[in-house]
Amino acid sequence: MKWKLALIAALAVLPLVAAAQPNFAGKTVTVVVGYKPGGGYDATARLLARHLPDHLPGKPTVIVQNMPGGNSIIAANHMYNVAKPDGLTIGTFNRNLPIAQLTRVQGVKYDMTKFAWIGSAANEATILAIRNDLPYKNFDELRRAKEQVVIGSTGPGANTHDFPLLLKDLLGLKLKIVSGYSSSADIMLAIERKEVDGRAGSYTSLKPFIDRKLVRPIVRARSTEAGLEQLPIDESFAPTPRAKAIMALRSAPEVIARPYVLPPGTPADIVKVYRDAFAATIKDPATVADANKAQFDLDYTSGEEAVRILKEVLSQPKDIVDEFSKYIKFGE
Amino acid sequence: MLEALLEGLLLVLQWKPFAFMLAGIGIGFWVGLLPGIGGATTLALMLPFIYNMQPVEAFAFLLGMHSVVATTGDVTSILFGVPGEATTAAIILDGHAMAKKGEAGRALGAALASSLVGALIGAAALALAIPIVRPLVLTFGSPELFMLAIVGLAFIASLSAQGARGMVRGFLAGGLGLFLAMVGQDPQAGVARFTLDTLYLWQGLDLVPVLVGLFAIPEIIDLVVRGTSIAGNVPAGRISRGALEGVKDVFRHWWLTVRCALIGTFVGITPGLGGAVAQWMAYGHATQSARSPEERSRFGQGDVRGVLGPGAACNSKEGGALIPTIAFGVPGSTSMAILLGGFFLLGLVPGPDMLTKHLPVTFSLVWTIVLANIITVGACFLLLNRLTALTAVPGHLLVPVILVLVFIGSYTSNSSYADILVTLVFGAVGYFMVLAGWPRAPLVLGLVLGKIAENYLYISVARYEAAWLTRPVVLLLLAIAIGVILYPAFQAWRSRTRKAAHA
Repeated sequence: MKWKLALIAALAVLPLVAAAQPNFAGKTVTVVVGYKPGGGYDATARLLARHLPDHLPGKPTVIVQNMPGGNSIIAANHMYNVAKPDGLTIGTFNRNLPIAQLTRVQGVKYDMTKFAWIGSAANEATILAIRNDLPYKNFDELRRAKEQVVIGSTGPGANTHDFPLLLKDLLGLKLKIVSGYSSSADIMLAIERKEVDGRAGSYTSLKPFIDRKLVRPIVRARSTEAGLEQLPIDESFAPTPRAKAIMALRSAPEVIARPYVLPPGTPADIVKVYRDAFAATIKDPATVADANKAQFDLDYTSGEEAVRILKEVLSQPKDIVDEFSKYIKFGE
Repeated sequence: MLEALLEGLLLVLQWKPFAFMLAGIGIGFWVGLLPGIGGATTLALMLPFIYNMQPVEAFAFLLGMHSVVATTGDVTSILFGVPGEATTAAIILDGHAMAKKGEAGRALGAALASSLVGALIGAAALALAIPIVRPLVLTFGSPELFMLAIVGLAFIASLSAQGARGMVRGFLAGGLGLFLAMVGQDPQAGVARFTLDTLYLWQGLDLVPVLVGLFAIPEIIDLVVRGTSIAGNVPAGRISRGALEGVKDVFRHWWLTVRCALIGTFVGITPGLGGAVAQWMAYGHATQSARSPEERSRFGQGDVRGVLGPGAACNSKEGGALIPTIAFGVPGSTSMAILLGGFFLLGLVPGPDMLTKHLPVTFSLVWTIVLANIITVGACFLLLNRLTALTAVPGHLLVPVILVLVFIGSYTSNSSYADILVTLVFGAVGYFMVLAGWPRAPLVLGLVLGKIAENYLYISVARYEAAWLTRPVVLLLLAIAIGVILYPAFQAWRSRTRKAAHA
């Protein structure tokens, strides 16, 4: 009889213990990725899935599930409307989804600010790089260029397109943007054969080619990475406050370049556990070593900070949003 | 250079890389057999395993896996008419037709032997191209790539039935393919085209569900309606016998196999053209080898040359695709993009250094392709009797299994129910096309080339205005395209005059 009582007592106490500190022992946590395997979002998620278990209470199994489509709106809608707020599903998707919400893209069924934000695992510094053999060594020289400089792009909505577009239309750079390349790697090849003169993109993806002296960096967006501090920022050349606001709006999501969220309504204690676990995982030397090998930099931006940035992006006055929508379309 | 070649071989033959290669082959074997689960996805899934490997071990593992996927994908395509991979759909047309005639053994023998020849030629091309790879790849700018897509589309003439009626149907089906390629967000203005207000279609139609629907569903319906096994009433003992005959076919049509392998290599080298194109261009070329319209009309009903061409091209393109990846750090296909990630993980920076400082590693890649294919083809021949026996299994036992594989395969491309829907819709399209005698190959060619043609035309005009039309390679490719279109007419004329001479 005694052991039965003990068992009942144990069972009764168990939920209390669980409530005190979420414990994922024996559970499986799914990371929903809004893209197919192979890209940067997927690679980051798989790297974190390797190291996250060490920092979550109870060492759960962490698996990655790809949910591609609609430039990852599908994954965000799933996280917002379907996934249970029990801490067993976390999501990562296109950093530009707030832009989709801002410009009222059809099919958006989420409110970015209402997710339970874990934070961002990396930021992305967008830069413009042009061929080394061109006579323009810096931004001023490029601005004074007499001949058109041809920039290759993958298409509207990608940073290869939107960043140079604003440089051209708002700062008056003599750029000609040729879009339709199937990937940034294809633009790189077009640069090698001198079909185009340069491209915009993340510093991480351009770095090997800068090191190889094929291209040189000219100007960057606000978000930064080590090694880029000397490069001028596009916003600092803005002729009007409105132009500056549009540039700032475009680059704002780049600070939360690898967003990670829990479904809306996730209990605060679970959110806290995840925020702590992410911060610890990204600092973990084992994670850093793996990230260095894969040639990407991890950088934790807290959930609070992410929400602050998003609220700023999404509370822009209507005239700015209208002006912004003239230049920027949601994509990729 | 020779030293590096030998050193590369010795690198692969060390016991650890070799063991990893065998493990990779084992995985690739199954990935290829199962429809839908693509080589690229599997590569991405395997990437985390290489963190603690040496470069040679890691590449033996990844490339070993990757280079057998196409080979075993052909097996599924031939036996069941279900594309094992998106890149192995063309071999269905004649391969599965042979299986239905009870010649599964011969078809598999031919496919495997031509795959091996293709892989060897692709690897040899990779080794030979190393000194001249940079100028070779740099010759092909956007205008040239656009013209290559046009040459590819010109093969519709060879993929259609003979006569004016056949041509019109072929080009109409090709036009439908081009139209389907337009679905999704366009890369110039960012407008969503023909997406039916769904998010699913934003990124365009996925190739796998479309191909599986077009080719597998009609075969499954056919199998159910006939109520027999795939090989009909041919006794089981006879089916596997022709394997040696199939191998001999490769040597009987040696130059065709070589030419198709070269087509595959070339498509592989050219970044942006995409692997799915290679088999169709090779198949189109194989049909050109028919000497008379009667011979031509036998393609699609089980001509072994329709197996040899795609078989050779599918594997040779992998060697080719490695060339831009290694030399420029610019991947030629999705799989290569993932492999490129592998390079970085291992601390190697693809680029000119791979052709000088790391040359032995580069050659170890060549050897991995060669060895992996020899081993796989050997293993397949050992399993041949078991594999071909599947075509003698009664349809009512086989169909449920195939159906499950087909739908799981489609579903894996986006993990969305819409994938299943697309499969069913294109299954219906494919079924009625077969019923009405419309060719499906031009539709696929239009679909895989549409986006490439559109984008590179736009880039060419935006960048060079009209000046691109006078580039020498563009003119050469234009001449080839015209030649390809007129060739069937020339064939018909030649056989007519020959008949007239006899009479």
